[in-house]
Amino acid sequence: MRKFCMVITALSVVAAASACAPNTSSSGGKITLTVLSWRPEDTAGYKTIFAPFEKSHPKVKVNFKPIKNTEYLTVLPTELQKSSGGPDVVQLKPYGPIQSLISGGNLAPLDGQVDVSKWDPNVLQAAKGKQDGKLYGVPYALQTLQVLYNKKIFAAQGLQPPTTWADFMAACDKLKKAGITPLATSGLQPWVLAIDHQIFGATRYGGDDFAKAAVAGKKNFTDPDYTASLDVTAKLKPYYPDKVTAFDYPDAQTLFTSGKAAMYPGGSYEVGPFTKTNPDLQIGFFDAPPAPGAKIDHALTSGYVDGSYGVNANSEHKPEAIELAKWMATPEFGQLYANTLKQISAVPGITPGDPLLAQSLQNYKTHGATYMMVVDFGYGNPLGRDQEGGALQKMLGGTSAADAGKLVQKGISAWFKPSGG
Amino acid sequence: MTEPAVEPGGGETRRRVRRGAGRRRARRRFAVVLTFVLPALVLYTMFIVYPLISSLQYSLFSWDGLRQGDFAGLSNFVDLFTKYPLSERIPRALAHNLIFFAGTMVIQTTAGLLFAVLLHRSRRGKRFLQTAYILPHLVSPIVAGYLWSMMLNPQFGAVNAALKGVGLGALAQPWRGDPHLALPVAILVNSWQWVGFPMLLFAAALAGIPEEYHEAARVDGASAWQTFRRVTFPLLTPVLGIVTVLTFIGNFNILDLIYAMQGSQGNPTFSTDVLGLLFYRTAFDNPDPNAIGQSSALAVLMFVLIFGVSIGATRFFRRMEARLK
Repeated sequence: MRKFCMVITALSVVAAASACAPNTSSSGGKITLTVLSWRPEDTAGYKTIFAPFEKSHPKVKVNFKPIKNTEYLTVLPTELQKSSGGPDVVQLKPYGPIQSLISGGNLAPLDGQVDVSKWDPNVLQAAKGKQDGKLYGVPYALQTLQVLYNKKIFAAQGLQPPTTWADFMAACDKLKKAGITPLATSGLQPWVLAIDHQIFGATRYGGDDFAKAAVAGKKNFTDPDYTASLDVTAKLKPYYPDKVTAFDYPDAQTLFTSGKAAMYPGGSYEVGPFTKTNPDLQIGFFDAPPAPGAKIDHALTSGYVDGSYGVNANSEHKPEAIELAKWMATPEFGQLYANTLKQISAVPGITPGDPLLAQSLQNYKTHGATYMMVVDFGYGNPLGRDQEGGALQKMLGGTSAADAGKLVQKGISAWFKPSGG
Repeated sequence: MTEPAVEPGGGETRRRVRRGAGRRRARRRFAVVLTFVLPALVLYTMFIVYPLISSLQYSLFSWDGLRQGDFAGLSNFVDLFTKYPLSERIPRALAHNLIFFAGTMVIQTTAGLLFAVLLHRSRRGKRFLQTAYILPHLVSPIVAGYLWSMMLNPQFGAVNAALKGVGLGALAQPWRGDPHLALPVAILVNSWQWVGFPMLLFAAALAGIPEEYHEAARVDGASAWQTFRRVTFPLLTPVLGIVTVLTFIGNFNILDLIYAMQGSQGNPTFSTDVLGLLFYRTAFDNPDPNAIGQSSALAVLMFVLIFGVSIGATRFFRRMEARLK
């Protein structure tokens, strides 16, 4: 009996102790850098990408540690709080969501350590502290927003990528008559609707000119140009899938990849997974033509930074972690990243191997705009993207554009202070 | 292991020895009790008591990301009710929880009682049906949520397809996308999953009611409904109390099923937002630097609400029970 008691007691003590034991990360003279990420699907790719770095840094081993993307935001803060044994390099969301990690002192500033002299300041903004202006991450990818279309369906229907809004409407009508859903999208997810609005409405509200005016406090979201741009998006309802408000994000993806929808307004990040799901799918890109009454008379390719890699302030191998961050800003990393993971690298001067992505990067360079609700209004609760998406959901249910504009304004003014006011 | 009484008139030495032995035995008994309690106590302290106390502590401070700032008193609690968008979202989520609870009581508990009574009377297929009703329990709410969201899909889903198949295509609805339908649909799916639980409890209670009571009622000429209304149902009050309190706790903590069906935002346009989801978003998907302070305050409020109401309800039902005797 006494033995039994002791065993049980010992077991409970061990259970309690192991819950707070740190995991060691260096063995045999070799340092292991842990890179925390929300992309389990890229594990094999990152192995290829980090191989040259491990070769040039024989004492360092890079351990790519992915967390399920839906759990990443709950895991990251816990990992960053570990006084030892935490990750060394962490994948970070862009713009607003990293600000609390920065002000909480969880990330190491990288100014003067990472060479970003040739980088576009707009790209770097995604990884900068809003208050101190310091750099806390190396952006890894850009995403562009445009309309993806099914080339086979377009050819079968005798359609060309439209260059005017009238052409676009005519194409939608023709597809609908042929029993094909013209535009696959999700009305259930606010963030998808916000992307639709950026794609179809940016020319109507005035792109970056409007965004600058709104940031300066000269315009707000009750502005008639902005509400008209919401209307442009909501008026596409007849061309969206039937009962679009119940249509979820994966439903919209399936509708397009299964060849039941001709167009899909979305990000460049969709191309990889789409071609993986259906290798026969021939995807083309086009920019939505300027909407009726557009403030900008040409099409816009909107873009934003997907995220960055930052260094944990509590890293036990900070010099090596910074070394890795430095390398992630080099063309060597950029090229490997673009080729291996089929993405648009954020490193300047890198051309994506994929012709579609190369085209969209070119478009962004010649007639780009920023994804306003994420880049400029993604710094407080509620996020501009979510508030705008929610307002669009209401419009699909019958709310007027003017009321939707008021709702967006109410949400953003809860936290946003104009810079020029 | 009761202590034998010390016999009177025993020798001094014998008594001392016996007292020593008694003390040893008491110590051993304590060790045994501790052995059985300790594992549960350690786990309970670690995962229940400690987080409760720390979230109370977190809620009284202001936070800058993960860094704890100054003592903030009750300002986080005040923020919950005064700061947009929380000031709008908390009452809405609370209302949805209340609707959810009321709907579940009406649908799930009534159906559970009905099934229990019918099964109690039936002779054939009782085991099979009982198992069938319990089966959804074995599925995780996340899985049940995804399963139903696929079945309710407007384009590929089985529900609308079945309606169209029998010529009721006009009744096909955007089940998860209509702000007026989404919450009732979630209540139905939740009831589908958990109806077996009240059924089991009621069945056990029904089995415990002596048949003589029913016979006596019959002899007095009571109809079947009268027997149920005047004899059976009052005797089920203690179980009804337990079911109500447990349903309340479950419904006010609900997160997984709605998360799987309607996403973390309680889509569409927050029409299925509940306190659990709102807490999740406030804590983990909130660009406000004071996210930890606000979410901890919300967690404390939820705890106080659920704990308080549960205690109150238990007392109430105990009094009802006492009146039966």
